[in-house]
Amino acid sequence: MKHYALTIIGRDRPGIVSQVTEILFRQGFNIADSSCSILGGQFAMILIIAHPAHESKEAFVNDFAPLEESGLSVFVRTLKTGGETRPHLEGEVCMISVYGSDKPGIVYRVTKELGERQINITDLNTKLIGTEARPVYVMMIEAVLPDNLDAADLTTVMSGLKQELQVDITVRNITPVEL
Amino acid sequence: MAVREILVYPDPLLKTVCTPVEQFDAATDALVQDLLDTMIAAGHSVGVAAPQIGTTRRVVVVDVSKSKLGRDRNHGQLVLINPQILEREGQETMREGCMSVPDYTGNVNRASTVVVEFLDRQGNDQVIRAEGFEAVAIQHEIDHIDGLLFLDRVSSLKTDVFRRKR
Repeated sequence: MKHYALTIIGRDRPGIVSQVTEILFRQGFNIADSSCSILGGQFAMILIIAHPAHESKEAFVNDFAPLEESGLSVFVRTLKTGGETRPHLEGEVCMISVYGSDKPGIVYRVTKELGERQINITDLNTKLIGTEARPVYVMMIEAVLPDNLDAADLTTVMSGLKQELQVDITVRNITPVEL
Repeated sequence: MAVREILVYPDPLLKTVCTPVEQFDAATDALVQDLLDTMIAAGHSVGVAAPQIGTTRRVVVVDVSKSKLGRDRNHGQLVLINPQILEREGQETMREGCMSVPDYTGNVNRASTVVVEFLDRQGNDQVIRAEGFEAVAIQHEIDHIDGLLFLDRVSSLKTDVFRRKR
């Protein structure tokens, strides 16, 4: 079955999800993994979808025209074979909380340290909170560490950045418990 | 006696409220042994409930003593028959996974301390106070005999800190 990544974003209002999924349902798509969230005033949907017959996106992109007409932006990416399967990631799972006065470069500096150490980010959220006079930036990262690193090592790495960026950073192990 | 296969959802036995054990006979003892054997064979497992191996009886086994999280606070290998939680205190959130629900994990809030009354393998009345990971494991396994999976208790999406109203 051919898989596609579907991204939809637009001004938030009730009914977006049902409007999108009604089209998918009527066209015979399966929704596999998906994640949808409100960001600022926008509602963003990211879905991995599959269709038993459609071999290319040209066969169905026009079906999404009503979404565009209602003010949503739609993007379809065709996945190569295997691109729909999440790889099995070994290693400790960490939550990294970064927060402090807003300033340029927080996301870049933190993620650069992670990328250089082959730490794989599996989820990242940022939000600007606080007041206009005193804006506070909050970033939460979920990441999988490579075998040669643990949460304590990462804490050491991050302590340098705390100084440099003048933000608070904590790292904790959130590896799921198998019960 | 035997390592048994762990049932996975959507097996309906996992959503069944189990019946209490009334007789401490050979069948009950064999069930306990199968649960222990299955738990030990599944190297990473810290607990198994009877419905997970296909027997809808109120029996669970728990042993967190071999795991990093439970090593320091535990009661060793526990056999809990007809267990009942008498008291709950505190709150703890853990990202839980379950052998009966492969490839999915979720944050679950549970009491951080529980007082549990149960019958042991010999049928003697016991009461223990469990804390931390052992308390979480006991609550997870007792849910199984009530037909509940951790999916029924997921408290938040990954980063619930952002979902609150400002």
